[in-house]
Amino acid sequence: MLGKILGRLEESFLCLLLVSMTFLVFAEVVARFGFNAGIHWAQEITLTMSAWFVLFGASYGVKVGSHIGVDVFVKMLPRNVHRAITMLAIVLCLFYCSLFLYGSWIYLSKLHMIGIEMEDLPIPRWMPTSVLFIGFALLIVRFLVLLWGVVTHKTDGFHLADEAKESMHIAEEIRAKNKQEEAN
Amino acid sequence: MATAALFILLFACMFMGMPIAIALGLSSVTTILMFSNDSLASIALKLFEATSEHYTLLAIPFFILSSAFLSTGGVAKRIINFAIDSVGHIKGGLAMASIMACMLFAAVSGSSPATVAAIGSIVIAGMVRSGYPEKLAAGVITTSGTLGILIPPSIVMLVYSAATEVSASRMFMAGLIPGVMMGFLLMVVIYIVARVTNLPAQPFPGFLQLAKSGGIALGGLMLIIIVLGSIYGGIASPTEAAAAAAIYAFLVAVIGYRDMGPIKDMPWRKEGEGMASVFIRNTVQMTLAIPRSIYNREVNKVVLDAAKVSMMLLFIIANAMLFAHVLTTERIPHSVAETILQWGLPAWGFLIVVNILLLIAGNFMEPTAILLIMAPILFPIAVQLGIDPIHLGIIMVVNMEIGMLTPPVGLNLFVTAGITGRDMLWVIKSVLPWMLLLLFFLMLITYVPQISLFLPEYIDAMKGY
Repeated sequence: MLGKILGRLEESFLCLLLVSMTFLVFAEVVARFGFNAGIHWAQEITLTMSAWFVLFGASYGVKVGSHIGVDVFVKMLPRNVHRAITMLAIVLCLFYCSLFLYGSWIYLSKLHMIGIEMEDLPIPRWMPTSVLFIGFALLIVRFLVLLWGVVTHKTDGFHLADEAKESMHIAEEIRAKNKQEEAN
Repeated sequence: MATAALFILLFACMFMGMPIAIALGLSSVTTILMFSNDSLASIALKLFEATSEHYTLLAIPFFILSSAFLSTGGVAKRIINFAIDSVGHIKGGLAMASIMACMLFAAVSGSSPATVAAIGSIVIAGMVRSGYPEKLAAGVITTSGTLGILIPPSIVMLVYSAATEVSASRMFMAGLIPGVMMGFLLMVVIYIVARVTNLPAQPFPGFLQLAKSGGIALGGLMLIIIVLGSIYGGIASPTEAAAAAAIYAFLVAVIGYRDMGPIKDMPWRKEGEGMASVFIRNTVQMTLAIPRSIYNREVNKVVLDAAKVSMMLLFIIANAMLFAHVLTTERIPHSVAETILQWGLPAWGFLIVVNILLLIAGNFMEPTAILLIMAPILFPIAVQLGIDPIHLGIIMVVNMEIGMLTPPVGLNLFVTAGITGRDMLWVIKSVLPWMLLLLFFLMLITYVPQISLFLPEYIDAMKGY
C-alpha cells in the first residue's frame, strides 16, 4: 500500500517536472512574441528541472524497465549463465553508482561549504545539485531490488525497453476499434 | 592503452545486457580514474552539467511529448484518409497513399516503429482486401516506416546534434529533401510495379471530399507546419518550437480530435442539435476539459510514457557526454584521423568505411546508442577530410533507417511481424527488395552531398549569411 502511494508520488513528480518544463519554455516564447519581454529566471529553472527529471528519473527507469540495452546475445545463453552474467552486470552497475554517490557527496559538501547561490535565483547552489546524490542513492536501491529479483529467480536479466513491443499498443488500439465498429 | 580500456569495457558492459547509459558511464569513469587525474567530484559535476546546461537538449522531451499525444490510431486514420483521397486514384494508388501516410505520420510521431504500427495495421489489411499481394504491402510499409527518423522533426537528429554540437535547426533543414525524395522514390517504384503487375486504382472521390479529409488531417499536420515553419523561418529555436508543438499536440488530441481525455469521443455536434446549443456546449466542455485533463487517466498515461522515454534518452546522452569527454582528452578521434590520413584514404573511401561500420552496428544496437558512440569519433575525422558535418549526420541517419530493417534488432521487422501475424523470415523476405532500394538511396545520399546540403545552404543564403 505504502509502496503504491510512493510509486504514484514518484510518477506524478516526474510528470509534473516534464509538464512544467514544457509550460515554462512555452511561456517564454509567448512572453517574447506576445509581450516582447523575457522571463529572465525561466531558463535556469527549466534547466535545473531537467537535471532533476533525468537524475531522479533514472532509477524509476530501472524499476519500470524503460532503459535500453543490447540483450540479444545474453538471451541466447543458457539460463544459469545468463543469470550469472546479469548478477555480475548489476554489481558493476552498483559500482558505477557508488563511484558517483561518493563523488557527488564530496562535490556537494564543497558547494555547501562555499555557499554560493544560483545565477538568477537566491537559492544556495547545493540544494538543486543535491539531486545528484539523491538520484544515485535511489539508483542503488533499485539495482539492489533487481539483484534480489535475480537471486530469487524472479527475473533473469535487466528489464529493458522494447520499442517495437511498445509500438504494438497502437496496433492493438486500432484492432479493438475495428472490432467495435464491426459489432455495431 | 586508455583507448583499448575504454572500448573493451564499453562493449563488455554492453553485451552483458547492461543499460547502455550505465555501460557508457561506467567505462568512461573507470578510464578516467585509471588514466587521468580527474577527481570523482569533478566527474560528478560533469554529469550534472550534462543534464543541466544544454538548453537545446530539452527539445527531445518536448518532441517526445508531442508525438506521444499524436501517435494514436485516430490520427493515423485521418492521415490515411487524406492520403487515399489525394493519390489513391493513380494506379497502385493505395500503396502510394500508404507511403504518403507513412511520411506524414512519421513527421508527426518522429518514431519509425510507431509509424509502422499505426499506419501498417490499418493499410496492410486494406491493401490485401483490394487485391495487393500481402508481401508487397508489408514490405512497403515496413520500409517507408523508417522515414520516421529522416523526415524532420526527428528525435534521432536531435541526438546527433547533441553528440556533435551541430545545429539542430540545420539538421532539420537538411533532412527534409532526402526524406521527401526517399518517399518519392518508393512511390515511383510502386507505380512501375503497379503498371507491370496491373495493380488496382481507387476511384477519385472528388475535390470536395479531398478538401474535407485534408481539412480534418490538417489538425495533426499543422504540427509539422508550426515546427518546421518556425525553425526554417528562424523565428524559434528547436527547443521553443518543440515546447509549442507539445502544447499544440495536447490541444489537438484532447480538444480537437477528442481521441483521448475527458471529452473523449464527444461529437462536436449531436444529431438534431441547434447551433446555439452546439456553441455553448462545446465552449463549456472545452474550457472544462483543460483542467480536467490534469487528473484524466489517459492524459496522465501519455505524459508518463513520454517521461519514461525522454529521461531514458537524456540519461544516455548525459553519460555519452562523459564518454565524449574521455574521447577528447585521450585525443582518440584525433589519432584515428591521423592514421587514416597517413593511409591516404580519400573522403569517399572513408565514407564507404563509415557506411559499412554503421550498417554492422545497426544490426545490434538502437539508433540513439550508435549515434552517441560513433558520432563523436567519426565527426572530427570527417571534418579533417573536408566532409560537411551536416552531410555526415544525414548519412548516419539513413544508415540507422536501414538498421531498423536488419535482423536481429530491426525494430520495424518485429512490428510488421506482430501486425501481420507472420514469422520473421517472411517479413525479412518481404522487405528485402525495398532494402536494396534503400541501399541505393544511401549511396545517392553519400555521394551527392547537395541533396542534404541544398536546403540549409539555401536558407542561409536567403537570410544573407
